Formats: sequence, C-alpha cells, structure tokens
Amino acid sequence: MTTASTEKKRRGALREEFGNPERRLAYYMILPSLVIILLIAFFPIMYSVVLSFTDSTVTAFGSFVGIENYVEMFQNPDFLVGLLNTVIFTVGSVTLEFVIGLGIALAINRAFRGRGLVRAAVLVPWAFPTVISAVMWRLMCQDQIGVIDVVANKLGVISQPILSDNTLLLISCILIDTWKTTPFMALLLLAGLQTIPADVYEAARVDGANVMQRFFRITMPLLKGTILVAVLFRTLDAYRVYDLFWVFSGQQLDSLSTFVFTGVRISQLLFAQGNAASVFVFVTSFLIALVFIKVFGMQTSTEE
Amino acid sequence: MYAGRQINRRDFLKMSGAGLAGAALLGGTACGGGGGSGSGDLIFAMGTDTSGTLQGLIDKFNKQSEGFKVTYQEMPTDTGAYFDKLRTQFQAGGGDIDVIGADVIWPAQFAANGWLLDVTDKFPKSEQSQFLPGPINSLLYDSKIYGVPWFTDAGLLYYRADLLEKSGYSDPPKTWDEMQEMAVKVAKDQKIDYGFVFQGDQYEGGVCNGLEYIWTNGGDVLDPNDPNKVVIDSPEAAAGLAIEQGIVEDGVAPQAVATYTETETDPAFLGNKAVFARNWPYMYALAGTKDYPDVKPEMIGVAPVPVTPGNGLASTLGGWNMLINAQTDMPDEAWEFVSWMTSEQAQRQRAISASLLPTRPALYQDKEIRETIPVIVEGEAALKNARSRPVSPYYSDMSLEMQEQFNGVVKGDISPEDAVSSLQDSLTQIVEAGQ
Amino acid sequence: MASATTTQGATGRGSINAILFYVFLVLFVLVSLFPLLWVFRMSTVTKSDLLTSPAVTLTASPVGTSYSTVFSNPDFIQALQNSVIVAGTTTVICLFFGSICAYSIARLRFRFKGSVMTIILAISFFPAVAIIAPLFIQFTAVGIINTYWAMIIPDVVFALPLTIWILVAFFRELPRDLEEAAKVDGATTLQAFRKVIVPLAAPGVFTTAILTFIHAWNEFLFANTFIFDAAHYPVTVVIPNFATTYTTDYGAQAAGAVVVTIPLVILVLIFQRRIVSGLTAGAVKG
Repeated sequence: MTTASTEKKRRGALREEFGNPERRLAYYMILPSLVIILLIAFFPIMYSVVLSFTDSTVTAFGSFVGIENYVEMFQNPDFLVGLLNTVIFTVGSVTLEFVIGLGIALAINRAFRGRGLVRAAVLVPWAFPTVISAVMWRLMCQDQIGVIDVVANKLGVISQPILSDNTLLLISCILIDTWKTTPFMALLLLAGLQTIPADVYEAARVDGANVMQRFFRITMPLLKGTILVAVLFRTLDAYRVYDLFWVFSGQQLDSLSTFVFTGVRISQLLFAQGNAASVFVFVTSFLIALVFIKVFGMQTSTEE
Repeated sequence: MYAGRQINRRDFLKMSGAGLAGAALLGGTACGGGGGSGSGDLIFAMGTDTSGTLQGLIDKFNKQSEGFKVTYQEMPTDTGAYFDKLRTQFQAGGGDIDVIGADVIWPAQFAANGWLLDVTDKFPKSEQSQFLPGPINSLLYDSKIYGVPWFTDAGLLYYRADLLEKSGYSDPPKTWDEMQEMAVKVAKDQKIDYGFVFQGDQYEGGVCNGLEYIWTNGGDVLDPNDPNKVVIDSPEAAAGLAIEQGIVEDGVAPQAVATYTETETDPAFLGNKAVFARNWPYMYALAGTKDYPDVKPEMIGVAPVPVTPGNGLASTLGGWNMLINAQTDMPDEAWEFVSWMTSEQAQRQRAISASLLPTRPALYQDKEIRETIPVIVEGEAALKNARSRPVSPYYSDMSLEMQEQFNGVVKGDISPEDAVSSLQDSLTQIVEAGQ
Repeated sequence: MASATTTQGATGRGSINAILFYVFLVLFVLVSLFPLLWVFRMSTVTKSDLLTSPAVTLTASPVGTSYSTVFSNPDFIQALQNSVIVAGTTTVICLFFGSICAYSIARLRFRFKGSVMTIILAISFFPAVAIIAPLFIQFTAVGIINTYWAMIIPDVVFALPLTIWILVAFFRELPRDLEEAAKVDGATTLQAFRKVIVPLAAPGVFTTAILTFIHAWNEFLFANTFIFDAAHYPVTVVIPNFATTYTTDYGAQAAGAVVVTIPLVILVLIFQRRIVSGLTAGAVKG
C-alpha cells in the first residue's frame, strides 16, 4: 500500500510526535479517557456493525449476509414509520425550540429584576428526568383524569383522546420536547447574544438601519456560531429520541431508537435488523454533523 | 460434577474479559454460565410480591427444608420488563437464578433456546392431570413439559348487578349482542358515562382482549392440531375483531379504550363510570376499598366473557408457572422447592392469604377458598375455560404483530379483514422463521 | 413588579412596555412550571380524588398519603441512596479523567488532536440502545452486572464527551501567561496544571460537575437494563414502576417525581448562573 520511503517518512513523523516529551505527555493525559471510551463504547459499536452484516439472532452468531439486513430494514414498514416520525419530530421540535428560544432570548436580553428566578424556573423542566416527565405527561393526557385531555376536549381543540391517536401523540411529543428544551435553547442563544458588543448596534442605528435590518445584518451573522452548535446538539439529541416516545406513547409511537430497542431487546427475529438500524442512526447522525460543519461552516471547538 | 462446571465458568470469564464482546456472546451461548452462587442457596426470581405473602411462604419452606435455603430475588413488577431481564440474563449465560416464577406465555420461548430444565420425568401425565388443562398446556413444548403451574388468571366480564336490575335485567348477558344492547340501555337509564370498558392499548393485555373476541366467534390463531399452521385469516376471526371494533365505533365503549390497560379500567368501572368491564379476577377485591369507595362488592357481578351464539366459552389464560433454569447447580433442590410451592397445601394458603387463584381444580371446591375469593364461585366457568395464547418460541414477535393490529382495529385505523389477513402473513413468516 | 418600571427608568410608553414584558415573563415561567405544579397537586390528593376527574383533583383537600406511601417504601429510600451513589461516583470519575484529557486538548500541542476529539464526540452520536446487548455480555463476563458499576461505567462513557467538551471550553478561556510564567519559574507541565490551572478552573470544573451529576441522575436505560434487584435500582427505574401486578399507583408516582425533583430544583436555584455558563461555554466560544 505504501512505498518504503513514505513508510519511513511516516515513521519518522511518528517518532518525532511521540519523542517530544510535551507531546508524549499530552497523549498520556488523553489516554485514560480514550481507553475508557474505546473499551466500553467502541467495541460494542463495532460489534453492532459486524452483527448488522450477519444473520445473527439474539442467541446465535450468524453468517455473513452482506447488506440483506439493510435491504429488509428499508422494506419494513415499522422502520419506515419510525424514520418518518423521527424526522418529523426532529425537524418539528428543533424548529419550534429554535424559533421560540430565539424570541425569548431577544426579549430577555436586558437587565431586569428577577432574572435569576426566571433562569432557575426555566431550567427546572430541563433538569427533570425525561423518563419521569414522560410518565407525568402521560398522566396529564389520560382521558379520565388527565387535565390536558379533559380541558382540550372541553375547549373543542381536539375531539378524541390524545393517547389513542398517533398524530396527536406525535404532536404532543414535539410539544413536550419543546417544553423541556426551549428554555435550554433560549439560554444558549442568550449567552451568544450577550457576546455581541452593544456599540455594533449603536453604529448600525446611527447609519439608519431599522430593527429588521439590524436583526438580519448584525444579530444573525454574529450569532451564527452559537446557533449552529445549539441546533446541532439539539438535532442529534432529538434524532435519537427514545424514552419520551417509549414511555409517553405507551410504546404506540415508533421512532428509530424504539425500532432499535424492539429489535435488539424484544423481538427474537429482528435482532440483525435492529443492529442495522443502530448503525443507520450512527451513520446518519454523523452525516448530519458533517453537513453542519461543512455546509454551514460550523467551527468545532477543537480548531484553534 | 458441579464443581467442574464452576471452574470452567471461572476460566471462561477470565478468558473473555471486557472488550471481547464477540467471543463472549459465542462463549456465553455455548458454555452457558452456571447458576447458583455456590453458597448452598437456591435463588428464586419473581416479580414484586404486592400481596406480601410470598416471603412468608418461602420462610416456611426454609424452616422445613434440609441442606439448603431459598432466597427470593425480586424482579420488576411490569411483566414485560421482567421478561426482558430474564431473557437478557439467559442470553448472557444463565445468570444465577435457579427457579423462575414465569408468566404463562414464556415457557416455549425459553424452552426453545434450551434455557429450561425438562421436568417430564419428574412430572408425569398422571400428576399433570391434577392441574387445570390451560396452564398445563402453556408449559408444553415439543411434547415435553418445562415446569409446574403455580397460580392462574382468566379474563372475566364484570357487570354492575345493581344497575342492571334497576333497568330490568336479572341476568348478565351471554352474547356480545346482548351485552352491547344492555350496556347502551343501562348507561342511558342510569346516566353512566360508558357502557363497557376493556383493555385495548397496544400491549400484551390488548392481545388477551383481542383473542377473546376471536375465540368467542369460533376463530383461532394457530391450528390446534398443527401449531405450525396459522389460521387467523378466517371469517370467524374477522367477525370477532369486527365486534371489538363495533363496540368502540358505536360508542358502547369510549374511544379511549384504545389506550386502556388494567390501570385505566379499574377507575372507570369501580369509579361508577361504566356498566360493564372486561378484566382479570383481581379487580373484584378492589371494590369498596378506600380507593374505590363508590362501587361496593355487592353491587358487582362476574360472568364469563360473552360469546357469539353457537360458540363455546373462552377466556384468555393468564397466571404464572414455576420453571427451573437449565444451568442450575441444584436441580433436585430446585424441583423440591417447585413441588412444595405448587402443592395443594401451599396453593391453598396462598389463595386464602393473597387471593391468588389455584391451578388445582380440586381446590375450587374448598369451602374456605370459596368464601375468601367470591370471584371463584361466579367466575368458575370462565376460569375452567381459559385458553392459552399461541404457544410458540417466537411468541414475543407474534405478540408484537397482534398488539399492533388489534390496537389498530380498536382505534378504527385497520379493518378487521385487513388485520387478520396481514396477521396471517406476518405470523406465517414468524412460524417459518422458527422452523 | 411595579418597581420594575423604576429600574428601567422609563417613560410612560416604556412602563407599558415593561408591564407587557413582565406579563410575558410570568406567562413563560408559568408554562414552564405548570406541569410540575400539577404533578405536585396530583401528589397531594387521595387516590380516589385523583381518579375521579381533573376538577376534583384541583379542588380536593390536600393529604399526604402518597408521600407516606413513597417514604414508607424501603425500595424508594434505597433508590434515592443508589441514585446519589451512582450519580456522585460518575461525576467524580468523569471530572478526574475529563479534566486531564480536556487540559491536554485545550493547552498542549499534538498532532492527532482532531481525530481524538472526533472519536470522543462520535460516541455521543451513537444510540445508546444499540449497545446494551453487547455491553450486557461484557458486564456479565467480568462479573459486574447488577452492581453499581454496571450503571456507573456506561454513564461515565456517555457523560465523558460532554464533560470534556465543556471543560475544553473552560480551559481555553483561562489566561495562558500565568501558566507560561509558572513554567518559566521551572514548573513542569503537570505542576503548572496542578498549581495554576486547577485552582483557576475550579468554578468551571464545579459547573461541569453539576451538569454531569444531573446527566447521571436522570439516566434510565442502562439502569433499567443492567440491574435486576431492588437493592440497586435508582429512582428513575423505581418511579415508573410504582405499581402492583396489574395497575399503577399514580399518586405515588407523582409524589416520587416531586421528591426526586427537589434536589435538582435546589441545585438549579443555587447554581443557576453557573449552570448557564457551563451550558453555554461550549456553544458560544466557537
């Protein structure tokens, strides 16, 4: 693969890299974390990749079958529904969180009394364990005792029980996620806003720029880095949604992760497909991150 | 012999170590892990015992047993979570559980993987005949038996005897048509919210309910004479599901039954909001308690699940069996414990102290039991006609398919005909995969 | 509220704006907190009131039965203790390894920095559900299944990227000259790290600790998969399972939810400023 000379050169570079005491120390310092991550996470991930190309079952290692599992997975209606739900959920919740979060951030980007209290109040939903909040929301949407279902039916917003309609379930999941995460998004964006120096706005105002112009010409470009990081994190998180769907919908709503869970942990026949789906989630997550970095020009904080 | 296995297992553990997931999976399946902690204790796993009587019974056993003690390992209350844990443990080589308290739908799935001890020799046909046929059937796989029935459960029709009487009915309904007619009339007369509630959620209980509609209309899932033949795509099965769908569509049951489990059924029926309910025997004991003070036991009656004329009674069998881990180090001790726990005496004690229904028909004549659990008297016909769900090593997958289709039928998203024909395809695929 | 106008030092139009602003704020806070207040209400009524209707739930007289249920449940008390042990240990381990690693990435020069960061971040893209089966086998093989370690180890792995990411941002902010000065004075890199960076970074490290703790406190999947007996369950597993064989005890679930939320609310109230700076550190410094 490599000629002798490039091989030699590379070795030389490596020797230089590891011969330098400071650099060697840098590696020593990284090593423990890397070993932990590789040992506990990387092997299982690789193992999932291997399994996804075999006809393994939960109990027996199978033989290589190429991409058959992936082909079957894309023909499986549960997977397709899960994929669609996940995409709708991700786009819907991240968009809502971003728009509302930005609105709130702009509104509270000033000094006012009770600021700490507001901050604390909005952090509570974020800190609340997802699985327990899903249990609580399900209770509140239940048809006999659930305050939301009863009130929404009385007001005529809906005409059927929330929990027995897949569309309403999906909408509810988006709203619950918005409830939980908008404050987080707002605080991230607020922190970004506060790094924009006031005199930039002042200068623009003197030049006669109106509110809209200032927003699109100054705020948005200067906030771009923060927005990209916040939106990427939320997107990747929403894309793997599992406990909210599983618990809130009482297992009625499919997502990519619930498909993986069902395949790997419950079904005895979809094991290999479940592994294929987990690889699919992994790879597509990576692609999403790549799009953010390459297309939108997001800076990763590793670059100096 | 057992010592040898222990050493093997230790070595195996050392060899595999962390990180060698692949080797461990293969190894785990091939060598298995020995059960037993080696301390002379027998480990018995069972979901949380909400009646608080299980430990007492185990203590009683320990007092009279010689040479070993039984330790109770508490498992999740949620049956699905419990199954999940057991299965994961078996996959990883058996775990340290010796005796398993297991739902009636599990034995075939565990047995097919070689995880259970075959007890056919210890539990001959003559002994089996002392038990109800439904629970025994749930333990048979490949004409071998893998455990002993412990306590049983079956779907029942609950009705508000007081309200029925006020509307001029003296007897509970026998057919689905009668039930719907009565439900509508009584709900209207007595200003009750719902005519009927049942469990239509997408979960195992939804399968239990759906199967009752199919069976009471003469349909079935698998051919009783050939467990590898799927027969669900029949006019009878479709007619059964059509009744289930019609009950919701016509407003006899609220739309929300598509999300009901037992948890939602209790407050609807015992909270004076429904005339009829389909539920398990346990609900009887909740009537008139401080959580449900409005509906007293004397106001309710119990009957078998209705049928369509011309068909025999059928209820879905629930309940629990006792199984033994194939990898146990103490098979004889495990058997001793299982036979003691399922003996007439222990079952009688548990029936009286915890209202759990015995699996030995002889006990249904016991006067004290009949007094303590009144539901036994009225529900006897249903309990004796309980049918087990399809016995298959791939039952989990079958259940997932049925849960989805039956729930779709209840919601009105899927027509009964489409549901049975798509189940015919998917269940056939599952059966074929199992061969 | 009225005093707000004076702080704004506003004119007539300004004070209307200020009122509108506060109305908006109150609404926002209410929407955020309403579900939690309702859960609290559900936890303080009798089971039969709770099961009747929302109107009854709202107006019923308060009782503490659900709280006596959860506090008389030894499994729940044990679970609280387990959650503290698991989340605490996870936090300590993450901070120890994470701060060393983050320092190296933030401060030292070496070639494969990009690849290292990519590997670390890649872990956070993977669906945790997909690795529970292989992890189960590994944990069983080394004999740590059904122990605290079966929760702590995967928690650490999934929290470490977060810890490192935030700490890198914090360490970058610290002035470089102090360290350089220490090195000129003859300190080694490690001494510089210990004597100069660690004290300076303490606030950032502390913030990271809170975030990691909350992350671990809220974990459900691994605990639900790798733990079999009540003696080791954390609260996130115990609460959804407040049930008898057939039915769920809603009141006890609500009470349990309130009890586990209180430590978080206290943490959040005391440290809200730090938490916010921690959350934003990674995002704002591009």
